[in-house]
Amino acid sequence: MKRTLTVFAALVAFAALATLAAGAELKLDVKEHVLANGMKILMIPRPGVPRVVCHVYFKVGSINERPGITGIAHIHEHMMFKGTQVVGVTDFAKDAEIDKQIDSVMDKIYREKYWKADGDKAKIAEWQKEYDALAKAEKAYIVKDELDNLYANNGGTGVNASTGTENTGYYVTMPSNKVELQMFMESDRMLNAYFREFYSEKDVIMEERRLSENQPGFFFSEQVNGAFYAATGYHWDTVGWMDDIQRITKADLIEFHTKYYVPNNAVAIYVGDFDPASLAAMAEKYFGRVPRGPEIEPLRTAEPPQYSEKRMYGESSAPTSLLMMFHSVAAGQPDAAPLQVLASILGGGGGGMRGGLGPDGEEIGQRGGRGFGGGGTGRLNKILVQEKQMAVSVSAASRAQWYVGAFQFNATPRQDKNVTPEDLEKEIWVEIDKVKKDGVTPDEIQKAKNRFEAQFIRSLSSSSGLAGSVGRAELMRSWKSIMTDVDDLKKVTNDDIKRVAAKYFVKDNSLTAINRRGSGR
Amino acid sequence: MKKTIILTLTCAFLITGLGLGQAQKPADLKYPPLTYTPPDPAAYRVTFANGLRGFVQEDHSLPLVNVTAHINFGGLYLPKDKQGLENLMSGALIQGGTKTKEGTAIQERLDFLGASLGFNVAERTATLTLSVLSKDLDEGLGLFFDVLMNPEFREGPLNLVKARALQQLRQANDQPSGVLSREYEKLLYGDHPLTWQPVKKNYDVVTSADLKAVHEKFFFPKNIILSAAGDFAKADFKAKVDKYVSPWKNKDLAFPALSKAFPAPEPGVYFIQMPTNQGYINIGHLGPEDTSPDYHAVQVMNFILGGGSFSSRITSKVRSTEGLSYNQGSRFTYRWGFPGTFSGYVQTKSSTVGYAISLILDEFNRIRKEPVSDAELATAINYYLESFANGFESPQGTMASFANLEMTGRPLDYYKTYRDKIKAVTKAKVQEVANKYVHPDKAVIMIAGDWDPCNKGSDKCPGPLDKLGKVHKLTLADPLTGEITK
Repeated sequence: MKRTLTVFAALVAFAALATLAAGAELKLDVKEHVLANGMKILMIPRPGVPRVVCHVYFKVGSINERPGITGIAHIHEHMMFKGTQVVGVTDFAKDAEIDKQIDSVMDKIYREKYWKADGDKAKIAEWQKEYDALAKAEKAYIVKDELDNLYANNGGTGVNASTGTENTGYYVTMPSNKVELQMFMESDRMLNAYFREFYSEKDVIMEERRLSENQPGFFFSEQVNGAFYAATGYHWDTVGWMDDIQRITKADLIEFHTKYYVPNNAVAIYVGDFDPASLAAMAEKYFGRVPRGPEIEPLRTAEPPQYSEKRMYGESSAPTSLLMMFHSVAAGQPDAAPLQVLASILGGGGGGMRGGLGPDGEEIGQRGGRGFGGGGTGRLNKILVQEKQMAVSVSAASRAQWYVGAFQFNATPRQDKNVTPEDLEKEIWVEIDKVKKDGVTPDEIQKAKNRFEAQFIRSLSSSSGLAGSVGRAELMRSWKSIMTDVDDLKKVTNDDIKRVAAKYFVKDNSLTAINRRGSGR
Repeated sequence: MKKTIILTLTCAFLITGLGLGQAQKPADLKYPPLTYTPPDPAAYRVTFANGLRGFVQEDHSLPLVNVTAHINFGGLYLPKDKQGLENLMSGALIQGGTKTKEGTAIQERLDFLGASLGFNVAERTATLTLSVLSKDLDEGLGLFFDVLMNPEFREGPLNLVKARALQQLRQANDQPSGVLSREYEKLLYGDHPLTWQPVKKNYDVVTSADLKAVHEKFFFPKNIILSAAGDFAKADFKAKVDKYVSPWKNKDLAFPALSKAFPAPEPGVYFIQMPTNQGYINIGHLGPEDTSPDYHAVQVMNFILGGGSFSSRITSKVRSTEGLSYNQGSRFTYRWGFPGTFSGYVQTKSSTVGYAISLILDEFNRIRKEPVSDAELATAINYYLESFANGFESPQGTMASFANLEMTGRPLDYYKTYRDKIKAVTKAKVQEVANKYVHPDKAVIMIAGDWDPCNKGSDKCPGPLDKLGKVHKLTLADPLTGEITK
């Protein structure tokens, strides 16, 4: 008997769930509804607590940026909370009149400040005063943070959004009887976006970047990432370079919105207590009103082969540590599964809780992503932490992303035993060479497969985690790839593992970064 | 008997959105009513053999079982010379193995089953948590109770745990946010078990025998509450647990009496020098306990002041209007059996540290002096009422909440009465609790940041920082030795 996660009527659900046979295969079932404008509505009904997790994902992230507008995907995500032509404003016509004047003053300031090496400071100060007065006048028409207030007033929780390299998501969990508010608000942001308070919000984002900068080791790891990815948008951090955050204009933002925030580049997903037929009808009514946009050209640039070993040394307040990175393959490529099994074998395990009991937000199980590191029973941990006592911790992870992949090792040496990162590097190469030559044991492979399967089942237990995995997967390779990825993992053999180890673990394909703890930033 | 959460949809949800026309603005939307009755803890309460208590729910939606043992044990119960033992126990309970099994063998087996087992010790509660596929429940429970009842804390694995603990100590002054919250608590609670920090020599002297003695003292059936949910029959689950627990003897245990007297620190600015480009700031003092009859009113008041994200005054002013920060607000933290803390918080670039602090203090004063608006009160109350069901989404999370209620001695009708207590909060009550629990004149202002640019300020709000009160410069102790070196 096939076991399905979701069925479409509460009574049937209870009957089906009550008759599950032990050992039956578990299947992810998602109800799909495609609007005429190309937007996909995915639904996973779960009768029970009267709440519905509502996420909207767009296939756009920092990977779609270019020098000059790095960070714009994230700035745009922030600006989507600043109201529209309908929400967050009392009199749109009057507000827009002032907002246009603000843009034109700021345009003068930007040209004077950023286009000229020795801009006229007096002029800038004068325009700044003009800006301050206009911003003050605009306040009369702004309803502060109305989107957040409307959601709060109606029991919306977890109101948030996140921007990644590849996609951007907008989140709220609503009471079952108020999903219509989410449909209204999210379709309104697509249709009627209006980016008021743009300039003060950029200040907020610069503060957000500074928060990252104050994390130990941030600058070194930003440089390492930049050195590893030479050609694609993975080269810069999603938050963007500070210069670009400062200089990005309203016009840049509107161009970005118009291109990417179209229904044919979006997926909405609902998980919780609802009736799919009425939800689909509601989606027709709200998201259906957003006009389809032009098709978006896929990314042109891929990462070129490296053909040379890269090494980096840095000093920061982060712990002394070793990072070894190897270019691998994007998710869904034939080598992705053996690499993931290998990451689990070398660096997985450990027994700590990582299950999905938490409230909103946390993605569970990181499907298709990294093998869990830090592990107690992974090979590297057994050898380097337990037997040789050379490392405090060591992990391996295979990160198959949408357009590229990376396999990485992280290790922290035992300084009390005078071990250096270079010592650990040598040890890891010894283990890599063993895998290239002999592969791994059948028991190790079976353990990894069992772990992935259990991980998959666990990932189904959190509604918000599931919404995240399914929604994002749909944008790139269809939600069904969640299951085919698990199937692919089950097929991995020792020969596959030896083959991928030989292919990817070569110095000309690697970057080794060593951070020493010191006074540097 | 199977208990399910009672859900009443008084209007057919099916017709929502069909034929009602499209709203032009959010206020036009009309929603069908929805009532929700929270699960009743009494329906899930189980007493196992030897007085082990539990809250257990069948949940057949997935072939999984989650079990947590909540143990009334934590760092607070240890004498000063044993500080840090609880951190080592966190790592060594599982890794140190049991009387019959090496820790590595236990972990290896759990990993092979795709299961996970984790142990964590907090202030007064420790938790051992198992997640296992239901087909492996017997084996998983066997390992769970073996670890819970018979840990051996072998020396080899214990030394590895110590090495990791030392690595953490080395990093203890790296993160500005971590430093700020630790030093803030030290200032508010003073020299008290709540704020004692272990150093290297504390870890060095801990032996397997010490850990065993502590385990012996605190781990017994009547001092533990189990929470469990998953794909099992409740009666079967009880029988399995009883089998393990039956031979487990109870002990007599007297918990140490702990002082609840905390001398108030001198108000003013407390500055910690760090090489950061922002000031990390906490402003506040001690707060009420969560057993206070004012608890619900304080929740509502704080939502309006700075707890309700963008619906709150501090976020709206400091972030949304002024663009000074990404993360800001106010919070009341709670701890079992002690007053919690109250703080306004923000991280902002060095030059606007003084300005952001002044804006937060303005909001502290305003909520004391003026009644909140009808709309603010309505949003706060609606938020808590309408989102109430959220807390019961996960069966295991619900059972764990019930276990915590029982552990901390709060009434089991806590959730049943929660919404009525929130509904009863009035504007007058909000102002009353603001005056009772928010005291800008008694607040300490703690800043972790770079002194010169923070003290200089900006054109809009120039320094120096002593305009905000007497400045005390704090020097951090070396986390390895606990000594202040300069």
